[in-house]
Amino acid sequence: MKALEVREVSKMFPGNLANDRISFSVEKGEIFAIVGENGAGKTTLMNIIYGIYTPSAGTIFVNEKEVKIHSVEDAIRLRMGMVHQEFMLIPRFSVTENIVVGDEPRKGIFFDYTRAVREVRELSERVSLTVDAQATTGDLPVGIQQRVEILKVLRRGAEILIFDEPTAVLTPEETADLFVTMRKLQEEGKTILFISHKLKEVMEIADRIAVLRRGKLQGIVNKKDTNEEELARMMVGRNVVLEIPKLDVPVGDVAFACHDLHVKNSRGYEALKGVSFEVRGGEIVGVAGVQGNGQDELVNAMIGFSRPVSGSMELNRKSMHMVTTAQLRKEGMSYITEDRARRGLVMPYTVRDNAIMGQHLNKPFSRGLRMDYEKVAEFAEGKVKEYDIRPGDIYDTAGSLSGGNQQKLILARELSLPHNFLIASQPTRGLDVGATEFVYGKLLEEKKAGKAILLISLELSEILGLSDRILVMFDGHIVGETTPDKTTEEALGLLMLGVGIDRKVQS
Amino acid sequence: MNITQINVTIAQMLDYTTPILFAALCGVLSENSGVVNIGLDGIMRFGAFFGLLGAYFSHSPWVGLLLGIAVGCAVGALHAFITIRWNGDQTVSGVAVNVIALGLMTYLLEYIFSTTGYSPQLENYFGAQAYRVHLPFLAKIPLLGALSNLSVMIWLAFILTIVLHVLLYHTVLGLRMRTCGENPKAATTLGINVFRVRWFAVIAGAALAGIGGVALSTSSFSGFSDSMPNGIGFIGLAAMIFGKWTPFGAMGAALLFGTGQIVQSIIAVTGIAPNLAPGLTLILPYVLTLAVLAGFVGRSVAPAADGLPYYKEQR
Repeated sequence: MKALEVREVSKMFPGNLANDRISFSVEKGEIFAIVGENGAGKTTLMNIIYGIYTPSAGTIFVNEKEVKIHSVEDAIRLRMGMVHQEFMLIPRFSVTENIVVGDEPRKGIFFDYTRAVREVRELSERVSLTVDAQATTGDLPVGIQQRVEILKVLRRGAEILIFDEPTAVLTPEETADLFVTMRKLQEEGKTILFISHKLKEVMEIADRIAVLRRGKLQGIVNKKDTNEEELARMMVGRNVVLEIPKLDVPVGDVAFACHDLHVKNSRGYEALKGVSFEVRGGEIVGVAGVQGNGQDELVNAMIGFSRPVSGSMELNRKSMHMVTTAQLRKEGMSYITEDRARRGLVMPYTVRDNAIMGQHLNKPFSRGLRMDYEKVAEFAEGKVKEYDIRPGDIYDTAGSLSGGNQQKLILARELSLPHNFLIASQPTRGLDVGATEFVYGKLLEEKKAGKAILLISLELSEILGLSDRILVMFDGHIVGETTPDKTTEEALGLLMLGVGIDRKVQS
Repeated sequence: MNITQINVTIAQMLDYTTPILFAALCGVLSENSGVVNIGLDGIMRFGAFFGLLGAYFSHSPWVGLLLGIAVGCAVGALHAFITIRWNGDQTVSGVAVNVIALGLMTYLLEYIFSTTGYSPQLENYFGAQAYRVHLPFLAKIPLLGALSNLSVMIWLAFILTIVLHVLLYHTVLGLRMRTCGENPKAATTLGINVFRVRWFAVIAGAALAGIGGVALSTSSFSGFSDSMPNGIGFIGLAAMIFGKWTPFGAMGAALLFGTGQIVQSIIAVTGIAPNLAPGLTLILPYVLTLAVLAGFVGRSVAPAADGLPYYKEQR
């Protein structure tokens, strides 16, 4: 039986056809994946099915009956549930409150919290997804928070579950856990829609795969009859090189070095507990680790956002004690951030203005008190061409670009600043294959040009593919150093979790 | 200082606290659902004038109270219409309400009563002996004696504090309101109608501010003065922040600020620190609030989506 069918569904946003006559059907008990680049229209499509957006045209069938889904209430009534890309959880609420809100056990007008806790415990046991019902949600690790999301939709009797990029925020172990959960749900007869742009994961979990590109359905394939390369080609519309070539570049002088660096996080807790390493010209040093093991604090200290408690840093053999970010940049440091919205770009500003930020006070862009916007525009036009930033109008706001193009803009700016040391912090986070390929290419070009690169990433394949040396971070320490040819994803994964580490030896 | 003096001072303190508390409760209700209402000072002014108007012409403060609530709801609905229906900037809308209240009440005062500055005085008002809640059994007990003869409005403020606490933390509606204030998008995905919940919270909150105004002109005083509410709405907002957006927290803060208002009388009665400049004690609430905001006395964090318009189909 078809659990869900969409026929000729379109969604028009002002100036943008996000979904263009999309049709597909999903069998009951199937794991159906929808893949596509960022901005291909996957999330829009799901939001239509889930009643958050109203489609401009088309019909939807649930259990082979035509339905009109005007609101989320309608979708819930039709036994659909969505696990969103950004969690729809309230950090201050308890796990129980988050799970039951909107469908609360009650006594009259009162909220029956005791019964709610009991119901959540029963549910979590029944589907064997363990959570602490009374914990404050914001204190839980991301993987557990996602469990709360899944419990939330299950409690509402969902038969069709939509997972929107569920692995984007997970570690490899958490992803494996999630896939176990998804299989279990499938065995119970639930239908699952899995939205992703990670082809490896799609190939692992899905039964059938639909590919979207620029709002159009490119085709639906059986997992058995396809492979990653074919999917990538359908997604991007051309051949994609996912393999990263090995480059042998002579290693140069030490560009960056730190010694016994201790840094506190924003809550005053020492999150970096004595880290020492160096990065030389022409090499990429990868930092692997589960999120929240001191990487953010390391980066913040390196770019001058926070002051180390103790320890020293050197850039090009000059001490960088108590210097500002501006001085660091003058000394030759560039920084690619994973947080494009808050650190990388000023979203309401134009591409033109974002392109010169950081050198806006330098000639030729500024002369005395006056900006020379002609020169700025000329420079921005050049970069837009060189980096193929689309749609290509330098007067578009940065916020209107897709994630991949935003990242290209950041690269364009950071790599055009005079620099010999580059910090790349999760440079491909949230990017699709096409943009990821572009970023890898640029990093390798940098390496070839003899720049020193520190690559911080949660993606082990990225770390293994790009790095010359790998540092593994766990709980604020560097717990291991290795090279890609001497290790595997599994071995790294264990190290990242602190397995088999004698802490006394390390500290 | 004898017992009578102490009782009078406490009663006076509660009298000052009451309008601040109503204002703070308005803020708590509205902002927990995600709508900032800095227009509550203006809504209090509406409430104060219309409360007087109702009480004056009907000779019953109860009619004044009802009129004050009605006007509060109406002005609240205007704020809701601008900020929820049309996603207008909440601060701008609030300022507009304040400015409208300032001019319109002065005009109405002169137009209706042909006077400037002060309305005619009320004979039947909540502060009058006939409208007080008499609890003679408390009169002889030290400290509690202050509670033996209070205006019904004072009791109402404290009762509503409890009601609001129960509403926010023990009812389904309260949980949903807080969800809208923290993450309206999440609320939508759970099938909660964010707009309806916010409309309710803003209007109910505005009704509280309206009552606060009525308390000023018909309980603390026996008439409307053109300077009302004299910034009490803003002190109420400060109390809300100081109280970390919770009803009981706001109550504690309002009591503290109310005490700040009577320090002058305490000085006069007790003779302590006779040379302290009068203005200094009045800025106490603001200094405390700044201290809280700066994080000296424990952090106070607003609901995550407080003050943000909600667009359902935003990309």
